[in-house]
Amino acid sequence: MSAMARRSILPGPGLTRAVLWAAIGFAIGAGALAFGLKADEGQIFGLGYLFALFGFLLGIGAFRFWLTWAAGREIDVHEEHAAHGRAGDWRRYFRFTTDHKVIGIQYLVTAFLLFFTAGIAAMFMRFELAQPGIATSKDLYNMIMSTHGAMMITVALISIIGGLGNYLVPLMVGARDMAFPKANALSYWMLPLAVLLVAINPLLGGFDSGWTAYPPLSQQANLGQQAYLMAFVTVGISSILSAINFLVTVFRMRAPGMSLLRIPIFVWALTVTATLALIATSVVAAAFTMLLFDRLLGTSFFRATRGGDVILFQHLFWFYSHPAVYIMGLPGLGAILEVVPVFARKPLFAYPLAVLSFISIGVLSFMVWAHHMFVSGMAEFFHIPIMFTTELISIPTGIVFLSALGTIWMGRIHFKVPMLWVFGFVWAFLIGGITGVFLADVPTDITLSDTYFVVAHFHYTIIGGTIYGLFAGTYYWFPKITGKMYSERLGRLHFWWFSIAFNATFLPMFWLGIEGMRRRVADYPTALGTVNLIVSIAAVNIALSVAVFAFNMVRSWRRGAPAGANPWNAQTLEWQTASPPPIDNFDVIPTVTATPYQYGSLGSTAGEGRAAP
Amino acid sequence: MNQRRHLLVAGTAWVVLSALGMFLVAGMQIIPVIASQEAEIENRAFVLLAVVSVPVMMFVVVGLVYSAIRFRAGGERGDGPPVHGHRGFQTAWVGISAVLVLGLFVYGTIGLVDIRGAQTAEFEVSVSAEQWAWHFDYPATGVASKELHIPVNQRVHLTIQSTDVIHSFWVPAFGVKQDAVPGRITQIYMTANRTGTYPGMCAELCGLGHTGMTMTVVVSDQADLDTWLSQQPQASPS
Repeated sequence: MSAMARRSILPGPGLTRAVLWAAIGFAIGAGALAFGLKADEGQIFGLGYLFALFGFLLGIGAFRFWLTWAAGREIDVHEEHAAHGRAGDWRRYFRFTTDHKVIGIQYLVTAFLLFFTAGIAAMFMRFELAQPGIATSKDLYNMIMSTHGAMMITVALISIIGGLGNYLVPLMVGARDMAFPKANALSYWMLPLAVLLVAINPLLGGFDSGWTAYPPLSQQANLGQQAYLMAFVTVGISSILSAINFLVTVFRMRAPGMSLLRIPIFVWALTVTATLALIATSVVAAAFTMLLFDRLLGTSFFRATRGGDVILFQHLFWFYSHPAVYIMGLPGLGAILEVVPVFARKPLFAYPLAVLSFISIGVLSFMVWAHHMFVSGMAEFFHIPIMFTTELISIPTGIVFLSALGTIWMGRIHFKVPMLWVFGFVWAFLIGGITGVFLADVPTDITLSDTYFVVAHFHYTIIGGTIYGLFAGTYYWFPKITGKMYSERLGRLHFWWFSIAFNATFLPMFWLGIEGMRRRVADYPTALGTVNLIVSIAAVNIALSVAVFAFNMVRSWRRGAPAGANPWNAQTLEWQTASPPPIDNFDVIPTVTATPYQYGSLGSTAGEGRAAP
Repeated sequence: MNQRRHLLVAGTAWVVLSALGMFLVAGMQIIPVIASQEAEIENRAFVLLAVVSVPVMMFVVVGLVYSAIRFRAGGERGDGPPVHGHRGFQTAWVGISAVLVLGLFVYGTIGLVDIRGAQTAEFEVSVSAEQWAWHFDYPATGVASKELHIPVNQRVHLTIQSTDVIHSFWVPAFGVKQDAVPGRITQIYMTANRTGTYPGMCAELCGLGHTGMTMTVVVSDQADLDTWLSQQPQASPS
């Protein structure tokens, strides 16, 4: 400690130093190319970004412990403990903190901030689309639309698994932390610079290719495009790192007695999710890297003029990005099925089948990617097997409805806010699922592809699956995370306002798509003006309802009523310790004797603690 | 009220609502303008899928709404019955899903073969896309134009290419859509069966001018088409 104090001209490891070192890193990387060699601005920016990212991580202290160890010095036990964070110290959220509960909140808050920002971008889009004609500019529209997509994809990818997952998985399996706490913190701290790069890309000229970044369009565009590609690869690396961590935690660190078929369903969902992220992400990272090589190193993987193949990119991209739909969706489904039994006071219906269905979804998700390419000009025969696998995946996905309906049937339903989101989820995900059948069927997809029908469909599945799951989970676990109770009244207001506005926004879009409104356009036929105006007004209401949510969360965290350890009388392990949990999670690691869904069986226990605190 | 009674009431509601819904969608024309055989096939597929989805959707909706009304805890404390599953119901659920999926797959394959199968044509057009315009060449007559003119009731073959980025040729009334891919030639076979003028457009984001990348398609009988072709300037030899 005293050695640290003497060298205190430079700021200690933390955000200030991280920003400083990132700037120095950028200067070194960019400078090395700017002077000396013939390099274009993309190459200069690219090397600058790599050095800036490394500098940022170095400055935040991400490599501190490993470097100390490599240098053969004693690791300062005091400092290591400090890195785990002290309860009640808000500064730990802005530091390289290894406590999974701090990291979970870092992810969750980052995800919600991104969600709000991308929501504002959506407001801009609905402003442009409220009336036929061009109100702002086509170029600006394409840029904002692309940024909205890129950010929302990130939200859907990280919010539940990164936020709720990091916070809850060790608690739910009865562990004291994740398997690799330092790698866990590292995977979070790779995000801020990448996310910032996506957010400020309009300053770099923006990118107009949509989040899918199909070449050759994405090869034409400017520095903003490159920034997006590099940010995406960074998020990908972070995601792989975190996936390994989840898998090792779930498979190696469960409490005694927690056999595979006693794992809570939410943890099962995240386990399959992490497996998908681990296997699939490297493919898209490779595809985007190849795209970057085409731009920066003169290769021609996707340059048709030089023997490359643009459809190859689509195959590689969707080989990840369809499993990615389940990386987004499964955590939401898991959260929903975790909440249902608690508020229906009945065991989770068909739990083993639900676990099996998650695993089947994981396996099948690798075999359906080309249904995004039915009109792309890929091999003709390939439509048939892909149509089959795509329709097949509806069987395991349907099991989620079986479990949810089976659990509420004859239950004792308590309509607390999390349960409202479950009911909203079933409706929204049902619409998403059924409209998906029309897109899986090649004859109908030919006409619907690239229209607002698709826009409506994926918003029903991703909002219906992921965001409804995120809200259900956030309300459900809010008392555990903060130790305070949220306002039930504001929660209800949020649910009803959001759900009515959400349906009024996206249901009419199915009709718009059938009427021939293309996606990703700034203008449309005048005959569609009235419906678009209604959609825009409804969309503003989504934003307003989310403001109620933000207000509720902030106010309740500061001055909500104390929640107690187990306000829902739930049986999973995280409720068998204090709210918020102590730094080491449990005073005594519990022993598990059954699945955590023993509602209605007198005297049965999941975990030692069911009858305890 | 016992379980059997609940099943009877909810089941009746499901049957009635499903029948009503299926009756409503059965006769609908879903694709708003239909001017080709392909669009007719697609509309039939659309209606059939809609009819099949009604009972599936109603099953979940009735289950959800009925539970929300009848199984509300109210002031009751205590848990529901400790039911962990029901083998018969689970087997039936998975079995029926599998049958539906298999049926949809077979029907979809038949439709796909109907639309993309017969690769013979009586009239050829070469379509070329660039940022942000469409060009049409008629190899038989050497004519080039900005509008697409095709004969009614004849099988037409469109070969599609792009000179810069990916575009997508789409005429909603024909129910055909195909990307124009740089470095490849893609194609469409189709038969327009109603004369008239229809809008077409680019369906794949292609940059700044994407929104405005539209075209006009005219379907006429052979005599009118010949007159129009004879009035067009010849394409400059390239």
